[in-house]
Amino acid sequence: MAVDGFEGPLDLLLELVEEKKVDILTVRLGELADGYLARVRALDQLPADEVSSFLSVASRLVLIKARSLLPALEPSAVEDESETEADLRARLVEYAAVKGRATALGDRLRLGERAFHREGGTVELPPRGGDTSALAAAWTKVLTLAARPRDEELVAPGDRYSVEQRTAEIETLIAQHEALSFATLLVRVPGERATLGFAIVTFIALLDLYRRAAIDLEQDELFGDITVRRKARA
Amino acid sequence: MTPLARSVQAVLFVAEKPVSRGELVRITGATPRAVDAALGELEALCEDTGLRLAHDGQDWQIMTSPDAAAYVAAYLGADRVRLSPAALETLAVVAYRQPATRAEVEAIRGVNCDQTFYTLMQRRLIEERGRRDAPGRPILYGTTWEFLECFGLTSLDELPRVLTLPEPEMTA
Repeated sequence: MAVDGFEGPLDLLLELVEEKKVDILTVRLGELADGYLARVRALDQLPADEVSSFLSVASRLVLIKARSLLPALEPSAVEDESETEADLRARLVEYAAVKGRATALGDRLRLGERAFHREGGTVELPPRGGDTSALAAAWTKVLTLAARPRDEELVAPGDRYSVEQRTAEIETLIAQHEALSFATLLVRVPGERATLGFAIVTFIALLDLYRRAAIDLEQDELFGDITVRRKARA
Repeated sequence: MTPLARSVQAVLFVAEKPVSRGELVRITGATPRAVDAALGELEALCEDTGLRLAHDGQDWQIMTSPDAAAYVAAYLGADRVRLSPAALETLAVVAYRQPATRAEVEAIRGVNCDQTFYTLMQRRLIEERGRRDAPGRPILYGTTWEFLECFGLTSLDELPRVLTLPEPEMTA
C-alpha cells in the first residue's frame, strides 16, 4: 500500500524526520505531532483500516507531546509501554533500518546482476535395458524383416483408421474410465500386437485431445507408460 | 584440484536442483569434513569463472556469476524482476529476520502486508517454513533459492549490510 508516496504511518513519520533534517535518535517526537497531523489531514480518501493505523501513530505523538509539555502529568494506568516515546522511537529506528535494507535490495535488483541455474531436462538418459547386445539383436531383426519378400507386405490390405474416428473412440473410453494407460490404447484389440498405423493415429488423436484440453497426460518417469486422464471440468 | 572436489563439481554440474551436503557425503562416500573442504575448494575455484557456487543452508548449487547476468538473460530471454517499494520492504524484513511471521512484518512496517506477501509468494521469493510454536501457531516465512538468484547472492551471508541509519541530508 502506498498512499501519496508513503508506505504507511511509520514511513510518513520517517519522512518528517528527514525533512526536518533532525537526528532520529534525539529528535523529540512530540514536536512532530503537528506536522504529522497536518500531513494526515492532507491525505484524502484513505481506506478505513489504513486511517486507523495513521491515527494510532498520531494519537501516540499527541500523547508524547502532552507529556513533554506537562512533565508532572502522571501516566494513567491504562497507558502501557507501547505508548512511550522510547517505544515509538525504537519502532521508527527499526523501520528506518528496514527501509535502508529494502533500498539496498532494490538497488541490487535494478543493477540486474542476478544469477541463473541450469534448467532441468538437459540430461539425456539412454533407454532402459539398452545395451550393445540388444542393439545387435534389434539390427538382426531389421535385417530379417528386410530380407522377407516385399510383395506380400505391399498387397496386404492395411486397415485404415481416421484420426477423427479414433478421437471419438478415445473420448468415449475416457468418458467411461477416468484414466487409461497409453500402452493399452495403442492396441486395437486386447492381446493383439500393436500396428504402426494404428499407433500413429492413436498418438495424433491423443495430441489433438490434449490440445483441446479434453485430457491430461502424465508420465512418471522417462520412457515409462503414459497415463491418459480425463480433464476435470472447471 | 582434489579428486573429491572434481567429483562434487561434476555432480553439481548435472544437478537440476540444489544438492544437500548429506547427499554429497552419501554419493561420494567421503566424510562430511572432506566434502566441506571440497566445497570450499570449488567455491574459491569458481571465483575466476562465469560460475559461482551458491548455498542456502546446507544445500548447494552451481549458478551463473552475476557479472554475466545480462548475457545469460539475453540468451534465456529472461525478464528483469521488478518489485514495488512495499514488496521490497516486506522482503527485507523476511530476508533479514527469517524465519518471520506475517504479524512480525506488519508490526515493523506498521501496515497490513497481505498484498506484498501474496506478491512475494507468487514470485517464489519467499516460502513457508513451518509454524512458530506460539499461540495460533502462525506460519513462518523465509527466503528461497529464487531470492538468492534474483539478487545475485551466493548465500544469505552476502545480504547487503546496512548498518548505518539513513543520514539526514546535510545541505547548506
